[in-house]
Amino acid sequence: MKRKKIIIWTVLILLLAGAAGGYYAYSEYNRKHKDTADLKPDFTASATSLLEEYQKDEKSANTRYLGKVLKVDGLVKELIKDDKGLYTIVLGDTASMSSVRLIMDSIHNEQAAGLVKGTAAVVKGICTGYNAVEMLGSDLMLNRAVLDKK
Amino acid sequence: MKNYFVLAAAVLLFSFSATAQKYFTKTGKISFDATTSSSPEKIEGVNKTSTCVLDTKSGAIQFAVLMKGFLFERALMEEHFNENYVESNKFPKAEFKGAISNNDAVNYSKDGTYAVTVKGKLTMHGVTKDVETPGKLVVQGGKIQATATFNALLADYSVSIPGLVADKVAKTAKIGVDCSLELLK
Repeated sequence: MKRKKIIIWTVLILLLAGAAGGYYAYSEYNRKHKDTADLKPDFTASATSLLEEYQKDEKSANTRYLGKVLKVDGLVKELIKDDKGLYTIVLGDTASMSSVRLIMDSIHNEQAAGLVKGTAAVVKGICTGYNAVEMLGSDLMLNRAVLDKK
Repeated sequence: MKNYFVLAAAVLLFSFSATAQKYFTKTGKISFDATTSSSPEKIEGVNKTSTCVLDTKSGAIQFAVLMKGFLFERALMEEHFNENYVESNKFPKAEFKGAISNNDAVNYSKDGTYAVTVKGKLTMHGVTKDVETPGKLVVQGGKIQATATFNALLADYSVSIPGLVADKVAKTAKIGVDCSLELLK
Protein backbone atom coordinates (compact mmCIF):
# COMPACT_ATOMS: atom_id res chain seq x y z
CA MET A 1 0.00 0.00 0.00
CA LYS A 2 2.74 2.39 1.01
CA ARG A 3 4.76 1.42 -2.01
CA LYS A 4 1.88 2.10 -4.35
CA LYS A 5 1.53 5.58 -2.93
CA ILE A 6 5.17 6.32 -3.52
CA ILE A 7 4.94 5.15 -7.11
CA ILE A 8 1.88 7.27 -7.79
CA TRP A 9 3.52 10.35 -6.31
CA THR A 10 6.74 9.79 -8.25
CA VAL A 11 4.82 9.44 -11.50
CA LEU A 12 2.83 12.58 -10.73
CA ILE A 13 5.93 14.61 -9.92
CA LEU A 14 7.69 13.38 -13.04
CA LEU A 15 4.68 14.30 -15.18
CA LEU A 16 4.56 17.75 -13.65
CA ALA A 17 8.28 18.30 -14.15
CA GLY A 18 7.93 17.11 -17.75
CA ALA A 19 5.05 19.48 -18.40
CA ALA A 20 6.94 22.37 -16.85
CA GLY A 21 10.03 21.53 -18.90
CA GLY A 22 7.97 21.26 -22.05
CA TYR A 23 6.26 24.55 -21.38
CA TYR A 24 9.62 26.22 -20.73
CA ALA A 25 11.12 24.83 -23.95
CA TYR A 26 8.06 25.89 -25.90
CA SER A 27 8.00 29.44 -24.56
CA GLU A 28 11.79 29.80 -24.97
CA TYR A 29 11.51 28.63 -28.56
CA ASN A 30 8.77 31.11 -29.34
CA ARG A 31 10.25 33.94 -27.33
CA LYS A 32 10.06 37.28 -29.09
CA HIS A 33 12.79 39.87 -29.23
CA LYS A 34 12.52 42.30 -26.37
CA ASP A 35 11.09 45.66 -27.30
CA THR A 36 13.92 48.17 -26.98
CA ALA A 37 11.39 50.77 -25.85
CA ASP A 38 10.92 48.75 -22.64
CA LEU A 39 14.64 48.30 -22.00
CA LYS A 40 16.56 50.52 -19.61
CA PRO A 41 19.72 51.91 -21.17
CA ASP A 42 22.95 50.41 -19.83
CA PHE A 43 24.84 53.51 -20.94
CA THR A 44 23.89 57.04 -21.93
CA ALA A 45 26.35 58.99 -24.06
CA SER A 46 26.68 61.45 -26.91
CA ALA A 47 27.39 60.16 -30.41
CA THR A 48 30.69 62.03 -30.61
CA SER A 49 32.00 60.78 -27.27
CA LEU A 50 31.15 57.18 -28.17
CA LEU A 51 32.98 57.51 -31.47
CA GLU A 52 35.97 59.03 -29.70
CA GLU A 53 36.06 56.13 -27.30
CA TYR A 54 35.94 53.64 -30.14
CA GLN A 55 38.61 55.47 -32.10
CA LYS A 56 40.93 55.31 -29.13
CA ASP A 57 40.50 51.66 -28.30
CA GLU A 58 37.99 49.53 -30.16
CA LYS A 59 38.60 46.42 -28.10
CA SER A 60 37.99 47.91 -24.69
CA ALA A 61 35.02 49.90 -26.00
CA ASN A 62 33.57 46.67 -27.37
CA THR A 63 33.88 44.86 -24.05
CA ARG A 64 31.97 47.75 -22.53
CA TYR A 65 29.28 48.32 -25.11
CA LEU A 66 28.82 45.30 -27.40
CA GLY A 67 25.31 43.90 -27.09
CA LYS A 68 24.35 46.56 -24.54
CA VAL A 69 21.48 49.04 -24.70
CA LEU A 70 22.83 52.50 -25.45
CA LYS A 71 20.98 55.79 -25.29
CA VAL A 72 22.71 58.05 -27.76
CA ASP A 73 22.17 61.74 -28.32
CA GLY A 74 23.46 63.69 -31.26
CA LEU A 75 22.62 65.69 -34.35
CA VAL A 76 20.82 63.95 -37.18
CA LYS A 77 23.29 63.87 -40.04
CA GLU A 78 21.21 61.83 -42.36
CA LEU A 79 18.02 59.82 -42.44
CA ILE A 80 18.15 56.84 -44.77
CA LYS A 81 15.15 54.83 -45.91
CA ASP A 82 15.86 51.41 -47.39
CA ASP A 83 13.93 49.59 -50.11
CA LYS A 84 11.56 48.12 -47.51
CA GLY A 85 10.95 51.50 -45.88
CA LEU A 86 13.08 50.85 -42.81
CA TYR A 87 14.86 53.92 -41.48
CA THR A 88 18.47 54.27 -40.43
CA ILE A 89 19.24 57.30 -38.31
CA VAL A 90 22.77 58.63 -38.74
CA LEU A 91 23.98 60.70 -35.81
CA GLY A 92 27.21 62.64 -35.55
CA ASP A 93 29.27 65.59 -36.55
CA THR A 94 28.72 66.58 -40.18
CA ALA A 95 32.36 67.62 -40.47
CA SER A 96 33.49 64.09 -39.71
CA MET A 97 33.13 60.98 -41.88
CA SER A 98 32.38 58.89 -38.81
CA SER A 99 28.96 58.48 -37.33
CA VAL A 100 26.68 56.43 -35.15
CA ARG A 101 24.20 54.58 -37.32
CA LEU A 102 21.01 53.32 -35.74
CA ILE A 103 18.66 51.03 -37.59
CA MET A 104 15.11 51.39 -36.41
CA ASP A 105 13.20 48.53 -34.89
CA SER A 106 10.59 47.65 -37.49
CA ILE A 107 7.71 47.99 -35.01
CA HIS A 108 8.80 51.52 -34.10
CA ASN A 109 9.97 52.48 -37.57
CA GLU A 110 7.49 55.30 -38.12
CA GLN A 111 8.90 57.26 -35.17
CA ALA A 112 11.89 58.15 -37.32
CA ALA A 113 9.82 59.55 -40.19
CA GLY A 114 9.49 62.95 -38.55
CA LEU A 115 13.19 63.48 -37.85
CA VAL A 116 14.76 66.50 -39.48
CA LYS A 117 18.35 66.73 -40.62
CA GLY A 118 20.46 68.98 -38.42
CA THR A 119 18.23 68.69 -35.36
CA ALA A 120 19.06 66.87 -32.17
CA ALA A 121 17.71 63.43 -31.41
CA VAL A 122 17.97 60.91 -28.59
CA VAL A 123 17.84 57.32 -29.79
CA LYS A 124 18.05 54.06 -27.91
CA GLY A 125 19.42 50.92 -29.53
CA ILE A 126 21.48 47.79 -29.07
CA CYS A 127 25.15 48.11 -29.91
CA THR A 128 26.28 45.67 -32.60
CA GLY A 129 29.82 46.94 -33.08
CA TYR A 130 32.19 49.27 -34.83
CA ASN A 131 33.04 49.19 -38.49
CA ALA A 132 36.13 51.04 -39.62
CA VAL A 133 36.81 51.09 -43.34
CA GLU A 134 39.48 53.16 -45.03
CA MET A 135 38.18 56.29 -46.74
CA LEU A 136 34.62 55.71 -45.60
CA GLY A 137 35.04 56.81 -42.02
CA SER A 138 34.19 54.66 -39.06
CA ASP A 139 30.75 53.80 -37.86
CA LEU A 140 29.30 52.59 -34.65
CA MET A 141 26.23 50.49 -35.38
CA LEU A 142 23.12 49.99 -33.31
CA ASN A 143 20.15 47.76 -33.96
CA ARG A 144 16.48 47.70 -33.02
CA ALA A 145 16.50 51.41 -32.34
CA VAL A 146 13.66 53.46 -30.90
CA LEU A 147 13.40 57.17 -30.27
CA ASP A 148 13.64 58.11 -26.65
CA LYS A 149 10.47 59.94 -25.76
CA LYS A 150 11.77 61.70 -22.69
CA MET B 1 44.15 80.16 -76.79
CA LYS B 2 40.97 80.40 -74.76
CA ASN B 3 39.75 77.22 -76.37
CA TYR B 4 42.81 75.41 -75.18
CA PHE B 5 41.96 76.35 -71.64
CA VAL B 6 38.47 75.04 -72.03
CA LEU B 7 39.85 71.87 -73.54
CA ALA B 8 42.45 71.52 -70.79
CA ALA B 9 39.78 72.10 -68.16
CA ALA B 10 37.54 69.54 -69.80
CA VAL B 11 40.34 66.99 -69.97
CA LEU B 12 41.23 67.68 -66.36
CA LEU B 13 37.63 67.31 -65.28
CA PHE B 14 37.25 64.13 -67.27
CA SER B 15 40.37 62.60 -65.81
CA PHE B 16 39.13 63.50 -62.34
CA SER B 17 35.89 61.69 -62.91
CA ALA B 18 37.87 58.81 -64.35
CA THR B 19 40.01 58.55 -61.23
CA ALA B 20 37.01 58.74 -58.93
CA GLN B 21 36.49 55.06 -59.41
CA LYS B 22 35.52 53.88 -55.98
CA TYR B 23 32.01 52.75 -55.26
CA PHE B 24 30.67 51.99 -51.81
CA THR B 25 27.74 51.29 -49.56
CA LYS B 26 27.17 51.18 -45.83
CA THR B 27 23.79 49.56 -46.09
CA GLY B 28 24.68 46.38 -47.93
CA LYS B 29 22.58 43.31 -47.35
CA ILE B 30 24.24 40.04 -46.37
CA SER B 31 22.17 37.02 -45.48
CA PHE B 32 23.16 33.86 -43.70
CA ASP B 33 21.08 30.78 -44.35
CA ALA B 34 21.76 27.46 -42.62
CA THR B 35 18.43 25.85 -43.41
CA THR B 36 18.60 22.21 -44.37
CA SER B 37 15.90 19.81 -45.56
CA SER B 38 15.49 18.45 -42.02
CA SER B 39 15.28 21.90 -40.38
CA PRO B 40 11.91 22.46 -38.73
CA GLU B 41 11.92 26.04 -39.99
CA LYS B 42 14.00 28.62 -41.78
CA ILE B 43 17.34 29.32 -40.12
CA GLU B 44 18.13 32.65 -41.64
CA GLY B 45 19.67 35.88 -40.48
CA VAL B 46 19.91 39.11 -42.42
CA ASN B 47 22.36 41.94 -41.92
CA LYS B 48 21.54 45.25 -43.58
CA THR B 49 24.53 47.22 -42.36
CA SER B 50 27.35 45.68 -44.30
CA THR B 51 30.03 47.91 -45.72
CA CYS B 52 31.33 47.31 -49.20
CA VAL B 53 33.94 49.14 -51.27
CA LEU B 54 34.63 48.40 -54.90
CA ASP B 55 37.52 49.87 -56.84
CA THR B 56 36.36 49.69 -60.43
CA LYS B 57 39.82 50.37 -61.80
CA SER B 58 41.58 47.47 -60.13
CA GLY B 59 38.57 45.32 -59.41
CA ALA B 60 39.48 45.16 -55.73
CA ILE B 61 36.43 44.56 -53.58
CA GLN B 62 35.98 44.29 -49.85
CA PHE B 63 33.18 43.69 -47.41
CA ALA B 64 32.94 44.15 -43.67
CA VAL B 65 30.04 42.95 -41.59
CA LEU B 66 29.26 43.01 -37.88
CA MET B 67 28.14 39.63 -36.63
CA LYS B 68 25.77 41.07 -34.05
CA GLY B 69 24.02 42.91 -36.84
CA PHE B 70 22.43 39.71 -38.15
CA LEU B 71 18.75 39.77 -37.33
CA PHE B 72 16.87 36.50 -36.88
CA GLU B 73 13.16 36.18 -36.51
CA ARG B 74 13.41 34.15 -33.33
CA ALA B 75 15.18 35.70 -30.35
CA LEU B 76 16.50 32.30 -29.28
CA MET B 77 17.98 31.62 -32.70
CA GLU B 78 19.73 34.98 -32.72
CA GLU B 79 21.20 34.31 -29.28
CA HIS B 80 22.44 30.88 -30.29
CA PHE B 81 23.96 32.32 -33.45
CA ASN B 82 25.83 34.98 -31.50
CA GLU B 83 26.73 33.10 -28.36
CA ASN B 84 27.30 29.51 -29.42
CA TYR B 85 28.10 29.50 -33.11
CA VAL B 86 29.96 32.59 -34.27
CA GLU B 87 30.88 33.86 -30.78
CA SER B 88 30.32 37.45 -31.81
CA ASN B 89 31.66 38.86 -28.56
CA LYS B 90 35.04 37.35 -29.31
CA PHE B 91 34.88 37.83 -33.08
CA PRO B 92 32.62 40.81 -33.70
CA LYS B 93 33.45 41.19 -37.37
CA ALA B 94 33.57 39.15 -40.56
CA GLU B 95 35.55 40.44 -43.51
CA PHE B 96 36.07 39.66 -47.13
CA LYS B 97 38.98 41.05 -49.10
CA GLY B 98 39.40 40.13 -52.71
CA ALA B 99 39.12 41.13 -56.32
CA ILE B 100 37.04 40.62 -59.42
CA SER B 101 39.20 38.31 -61.54
CA ASN B 102 37.60 39.31 -64.82
CA ASN B 103 37.39 43.03 -64.09
CA ASP B 104 38.36 43.89 -67.68
CA ALA B 105 35.15 42.32 -68.90
CA VAL B 106 33.08 44.90 -67.04
CA ASN B 107 32.40 48.23 -68.68
CA TYR B 108 31.54 50.45 -65.72
CA SER B 109 30.60 53.37 -67.90
CA LYS B 110 27.97 51.42 -69.80
CA ASP B 111 24.69 50.24 -68.31
CA GLY B 112 24.32 46.51 -68.37
CA THR B 113 24.54 43.23 -66.50
CA TYR B 114 27.93 41.64 -66.13
CA ALA B 115 28.80 38.17 -64.85
CA VAL B 116 31.90 38.29 -62.68
CA THR B 117 34.09 35.97 -60.67
CA VAL B 118 35.18 37.15 -57.26
CA LYS B 119 38.18 35.66 -55.58
CA GLY B 120 39.52 36.49 -52.15
CA LYS B 121 39.81 35.76 -48.49
CA LEU B 122 36.93 35.51 -46.07
CA THR B 123 37.61 35.94 -42.37
CA MET B 124 34.89 34.76 -40.02
CA HIS B 125 35.01 33.45 -36.47
CA GLY B 126 38.72 34.22 -36.45
CA VAL B 127 39.52 31.91 -39.37
CA THR B 128 40.59 33.06 -42.84
CA LYS B 129 39.82 30.96 -45.91
CA ASP B 130 40.03 31.36 -49.66
CA VAL B 131 36.71 31.91 -51.36
CA GLU B 132 35.83 32.01 -55.03
CA THR B 133 32.35 32.69 -56.26
CA PRO B 134 30.44 33.81 -59.32
CA GLY B 135 28.58 37.06 -58.92
CA LYS B 136 26.66 39.64 -60.86
CA LEU B 137 27.19 43.34 -61.35
CA VAL B 138 24.39 45.47 -62.71
CA VAL B 139 25.56 48.89 -63.81
CA GLN B 140 22.69 51.32 -64.11
CA GLY B 141 22.54 55.07 -64.02
CA GLY B 142 25.83 55.52 -62.20
CA LYS B 143 25.03 52.91 -59.56
CA ILE B 144 26.25 49.37 -59.28
CA GLN B 145 24.17 46.54 -57.90
CA ALA B 146 26.44 43.73 -56.74
CA THR B 147 24.97 40.33 -55.94
CA ALA B 148 26.46 36.94 -55.19
CA THR B 149 25.63 33.73 -53.39
CA PHE B 150 28.18 31.28 -52.13
CA ASN B 151 28.52 28.46 -49.66
CA ALA B 152 30.71 28.41 -46.59
CA LEU B 153 31.43 25.13 -44.85
CA LEU B 154 30.90 25.99 -41.20
CA ALA B 155 33.53 23.49 -40.04
CA ASP B 156 36.09 25.39 -42.15
CA TYR B 157 35.57 28.37 -39.89
CA SER B 158 35.60 26.18 -36.78
CA VAL B 159 31.95 26.85 -36.10
CA SER B 160 30.76 23.73 -34.34
CA ILE B 161 27.13 22.71 -34.17
CA PRO B 162 26.12 20.84 -31.00
CA GLY B 163 25.19 17.18 -31.56
CA LEU B 164 21.63 17.71 -30.39
CA VAL B 165 20.78 19.95 -33.34
CA ALA B 166 23.46 18.77 -35.76
CA ASP B 167 20.97 17.31 -38.23
CA LYS B 168 18.71 20.37 -38.06
CA VAL B 169 21.35 22.91 -39.04
CA ALA B 170 23.05 22.80 -42.44
CA LYS B 171 26.76 22.02 -42.46
CA THR B 172 27.30 24.65 -45.12
CA ALA B 173 25.78 28.06 -44.79
CA LYS B 174 24.51 29.86 -47.83
CA ILE B 175 25.79 33.43 -47.80
CA GLY B 176 23.93 35.92 -49.92
CA VAL B 177 25.31 39.33 -50.84
CA ASP B 178 23.21 42.16 -52.20
CA CYS B 179 24.76 45.63 -52.28
CA SER B 180 23.76 48.78 -54.08
CA LEU B 181 26.95 50.76 -54.54
CA GLU B 182 27.24 54.48 -55.06
CA LEU B 183 30.13 56.54 -56.31
CA LEU B 184 32.42 57.68 -53.52
CA LYS B 185 32.85 61.43 -53.81
